[in-house]
Amino acid sequence: MSQERKAKKMDYDKVNKPIRRVDAYEKVTGKAKFGADLFFPNMLYAKVLRSRYPHARIVKINIEKALAYPGVKAIIRAEDMPNNEFGVIVQNQQVLALKQVLYIGDGIAVAAAETKEAAAKALELIEVEYEELPGIFDPEEAEKKDAPLIHSELENNQVVHHRLRKGDTEKGFAQAEVILEREFTTQFVEHGYIEPESLVAVPHEHNSLVTIYGSIQNPFSCRNAVASVLKVPLNKVRIIQNHMGGSFGGKDEVMFSMAARAALLALKTDRPVKMVNTRDESILESYKRHPYKMKYKVGATKEGKLVAMEIKCLADSGAYACQTPFVTWRSVVQATGPYEVPHVRTDTYGYYTNNVYTGAMRGYGSPQIIFAQESLMDELAEELKMTPRALRLKNIYHNNSITASGQKLDNHQVSLEEVIDKAVEASNYKEKYRGYSEPQSGDKKRGIGMAISFRGCSLGAEATDAAGAIVAIQRDGSILISCGLAENGEGLKTVFTQIAAEELGVGIKRINYMEVDTSVSPESGATVASRSTILGGNAVKNAACQLKEILAKIVAAEFKIRVDNLDFKNENIYEKNKEQKIISFDEAVNLANQKREFLSAFGWYKAPDISWDEETGQGRPYFTYVYGCQIAEVEVDTATGQIEVLKMTAAHDVGKAINPATLKGQIYGGVMMGLGYGIMEEVETAQGYIKNTNFDEYLIPTIKDMPEISPIIVENPDPHGPYGAKSIGEPTLELGAPAIANAVAQATGKRIRHLPLNLERVLLGHSLSKGGTKK
Amino acid sequence: MISYEFLTTQKIEETLNYFDKFSKVHILAGGTDLLVNLYKESPRLPDFDYLLDISNISELKIINLISNFIEIGPLVTHSRLIHEPLIKNNFPVLVEATYTIGSTQIRNRGTIGGNIVNASPAADLLPPLIALGAEVELTSRKGKRVSSLEKFLTGPYKTKLQANELLTKIKIPLLGDNYYTDFQKIGRRKALSIARLSLALVVKIDKEGIFQDTRVVPGSATPYPQSLPETEKAINGKSTFNIDVEEIGKITGKEMVSITGERWSTPYKKPTIAVLIKRALKKIIEEAKASD
Repeated sequence: MSQERKAKKMDYDKVNKPIRRVDAYEKVTGKAKFGADLFFPNMLYAKVLRSRYPHARIVKINIEKALAYPGVKAIIRAEDMPNNEFGVIVQNQQVLALKQVLYIGDGIAVAAAETKEAAAKALELIEVEYEELPGIFDPEEAEKKDAPLIHSELENNQVVHHRLRKGDTEKGFAQAEVILEREFTTQFVEHGYIEPESLVAVPHEHNSLVTIYGSIQNPFSCRNAVASVLKVPLNKVRIIQNHMGGSFGGKDEVMFSMAARAALLALKTDRPVKMVNTRDESILESYKRHPYKMKYKVGATKEGKLVAMEIKCLADSGAYACQTPFVTWRSVVQATGPYEVPHVRTDTYGYYTNNVYTGAMRGYGSPQIIFAQESLMDELAEELKMTPRALRLKNIYHNNSITASGQKLDNHQVSLEEVIDKAVEASNYKEKYRGYSEPQSGDKKRGIGMAISFRGCSLGAEATDAAGAIVAIQRDGSILISCGLAENGEGLKTVFTQIAAEELGVGIKRINYMEVDTSVSPESGATVASRSTILGGNAVKNAACQLKEILAKIVAAEFKIRVDNLDFKNENIYEKNKEQKIISFDEAVNLANQKREFLSAFGWYKAPDISWDEETGQGRPYFTYVYGCQIAEVEVDTATGQIEVLKMTAAHDVGKAINPATLKGQIYGGVMMGLGYGIMEEVETAQGYIKNTNFDEYLIPTIKDMPEISPIIVENPDPHGPYGAKSIGEPTLELGAPAIANAVAQATGKRIRHLPLNLERVLLGHSLSKGGTKK
Repeated sequence: MISYEFLTTQKIEETLNYFDKFSKVHILAGGTDLLVNLYKESPRLPDFDYLLDISNISELKIINLISNFIEIGPLVTHSRLIHEPLIKNNFPVLVEATYTIGSTQIRNRGTIGGNIVNASPAADLLPPLIALGAEVELTSRKGKRVSSLEKFLTGPYKTKLQANELLTKIKIPLLGDNYYTDFQKIGRRKALSIARLSLALVVKIDKEGIFQDTRVVPGSATPYPQSLPETEKAINGKSTFNIDVEEIGKITGKEMVSITGERWSTPYKKPTIAVLIKRALKKIIEEAKASD
């Protein structure tokens, strides 16, 4: 770190500090209102009738008896929708099934009634005649030329195909002295947010056609979907986000259809309509993390230098396209892992099936490929009789490395070696790896494993990438911030507040961060892709800087000091290097008000340019990257298949930690989700039916399953990030499963290439299935 | 939606009156199984019109030492079992098993009687209770009858409890000297985990180190928890110095499969139940040797 940077670090007063979350008080005292807490006078409750089959033709629906039931006010069906199909990328998701149900969670009708009980009763009284159709439940079946079509208007079942071509793999493999070919699979995973989907739609409030309050991850994308379903202009639909009981990428499309259904019912009845999913309804209808089938072929020299990789990934998109085109795009960019490979050929595909549809979930196409590529690196190391660490160090990206996409990493510090070194040291990896490589007596055997990654920050070439913020100083000097990016529990409000406070030299308590309101907040794209701090943080910083300039000009003129000689800190304005303040922040605001200055500012940040060639997969897919290394230490009971994760060490380069405390929170949570993904979580499907629809059978880790976690924050400020900050949300989740799998392989001497590493796979090498379905 | 009338009582006597007065009465104790079944509209629920909340009957919350046995009221919660010195000192195997039930919240609500009457194949308390030779006291208008717990169970989620009967006591005979016990459980995670497989072992080891009066009861292994006589026979008479635990493991695995037949889970459970009996035996042998 240069002297200059060191000096600057000392200067920060509010950022780079573990301050208390600004929303902590209301959350820990139970004052925070969540979607299900909302109540409006004269409100109706609505419930959804869902399919009985994963794939069927709807022959007839009779709602007469249901409508006649006391308390039932309205029932809507697909034909009531002004536009029944929505989607962020491909508009083919049915708000309600029109002619066919395409998966088991498809809605068929929605009933609104005076009570939840009456709405539930109405569903029982709706008569649906189905003609069950054979389904496709495996993307490899869907891929076949003669496969029946899931979407009859399409030519085949392919959602998307991304290609990446670098060099000449044929030539590359010819140079290889060792070639490994392996297949890996991953499972459907549920987000498991603690708060199931919930919202209230209110008609004709404040001159909007409909206002929706709810547990919505991305209010703007939700608004766009509702407006398109209702066929009304965007300014007629208003979404106000509530506190979120978790989302992890999961409260997008499933909320869009819930919002559209509630909105239509609200307009039809002219009454507020509330919808809250039960856990079973949530798991049944909501989209999951994509299962992948991955074929990897890697070639290396005897010395362990990678020469070629060929990769084919098949993603199960389920019934709808949803986010599959972009999820598989991140996979195609990052599929080789952070390794210099001269010859690469990667193909990622998404296919429609009649399984539950799949979409965004923390990681977004990276956890699957990282599990494959990091398992493969360990297998290759073993083949070459190298340590996993040595093989990685020989091939990782450094400054100015060229990625598989042909991007030269020349605009930021490529810190892979640093994160590896720090994680290795903190976990005592080298000594433990040697120790656990010796024969171990008894049933319980230990192992230590690592996984590393590079991850493109923000959206990359997926979509336009910009964010806005409003910072408004009120008459009394208090401050409001509004941004189109939404707090999803990660600590965004706190981070943005810290940035505004840092720039204006004021206390945190002065600032109030507003909920996202689509009719007020500047549209900023979605709160996804670990992009909020870097994009939104820059926008807030920009707005705060503008206000600072306005105040500085006024103060400079009043006190005859040069503008650039002013210093905003400790709630005051100083002349640089002088102890005595010139004026307090409040007095400066007062002065500005007297001079009729406008003390609100819009900040806008456009992400740097990127590029992508869809034919070759070459370009600059992301403007910067983050790097991480996680090391897992495990003890495996080789007689029963039980895995105990003893310790996880997680080193992540985040550029700059705006709030080291919330950042560590991200690491702890990400490690937990990675552990669940690795050893226990799986949405079990059988012929399209979901067998585990509640938390008694869908197992996520409990506090007792959590190991000691040692978080290591690495800071190499990025030229594009606010104060150098980049991303942390998703990188923390993507490394746990492969690190654990590698540790288990060391402990047992057996490689498991399929997630999760459950009791049966660890003991027998394969999973067991009860068979049968749950209807 | 299941609809029913809700009744509540504070007396055994009144409960029996309700049985007379109303038909199709279902009992609510801790509710940790029942509420889930109601929510799921589980086919396991019997047809009932009345739900009778007995959780306020203090007569059913006793724990007493009566000469050579301990009687436990069916409404004693799991949390109380864990902390009760009488239980801790006399039946550590029961405490060990109780600790593995659900979570703190579930242990605070769930009761020993509920665990018995629900009769889940995976019930954590049934293997140790059967191995300890527990008996159940059932009370009706006609009087009381006592049955061994093992005979009281008739199938998965099935018992011999009559519609007009209330489980009023669990009686566990004190173990004599030189008895050793152990409980083993495998779950998919460390808490809130339904037993993938469990096993309770109660055995006497005499001064010469010979196994006697062996009781082996697995959970989640057979349609409902029951002792494994072949395994018990194979252990009885062996000495702690030369028992072939590998051989015993094989016998246990074979005996389990002889009861269940080959099922989808057999490839996992057959080798693993062998591991559990071996581990339990080894632990007990160590303890016995240490106490010499």
